[in-house]
Amino acid sequence: MTDFSEAMQVAASGMKAQAGRLRHISENIANTDTPGYRRKTVAFAQEVAAGRATGAVETGPVQLDNSALQRVYDPSHPMADPSGFYDGSNVNLLIEIADAREAQRSYEANLKLFEQVRQMSTALTDLLRR
Amino acid sequence: MDISALVAQSYAANKTAAAPLPDTTRPDGGGNMLRDAGNSFLQTLQQSEATAMQAMTTGADPHALVTALAQTELAVQTAVTVRDRVVEAYQEILRMPV
Repeated sequence: MTDFSEAMQVAASGMKAQAGRLRHISENIANTDTPGYRRKTVAFAQEVAAGRATGAVETGPVQLDNSALQRVYDPSHPMADPSGFYDGSNVNLLIEIADAREAQRSYEANLKLFEQVRQMSTALTDLLRR
Repeated sequence: MDISALVAQSYAANKTAAAPLPDTTRPDGGGNMLRDAGNSFLQTLQQSEATAMQAMTTGADPHALVTALAQTELAVQTAVTVRDRVVEAYQEILRMPV
């Protein structure tokens, strides 16, 4: 296993982790209007193989945001309590969009690195050709 | 002096001079290293083919597919370049004025 292929794998693991993060963000955005929905977040962790960190990244277990649910006033809603309120979701669209943009930027950084590793290895083999 | 004896003598001397020296640096000769390189190349190719088939049929992770294909590209490039150099060296030997 050369450094080049290892760097490629690490960059790919970064892209995979960001894609997983984006998946949970899209779940949150899709469930913005779902009553009682708590937004999901994933933490990143170092990938460990045979007791040693490989340098790659992976997404950890899904965590639920325990902040207070939004109280929505709608007396005609089937889930409304006697005061006319029901529990909405605790998704803040602004936070989700910012998180999605951050995931996109990190993905782009990993993609750029992947491309650079490939360019470097190709340039190295091109040295042998005249 | 008989010329055929001289010819036979110099021929015998040439034969030993042109014989390949036994390789003492590696106990198993240089063949194993080449075989290992070939095997690892083949393994990379097979792995990428399997990943590509999985991605097409069962929808495996596209990142794994891209990584496998990039590594195959790297391996094929290296193999082709080394082969070109070997063929070139062989042709250079053939063109040697005798």
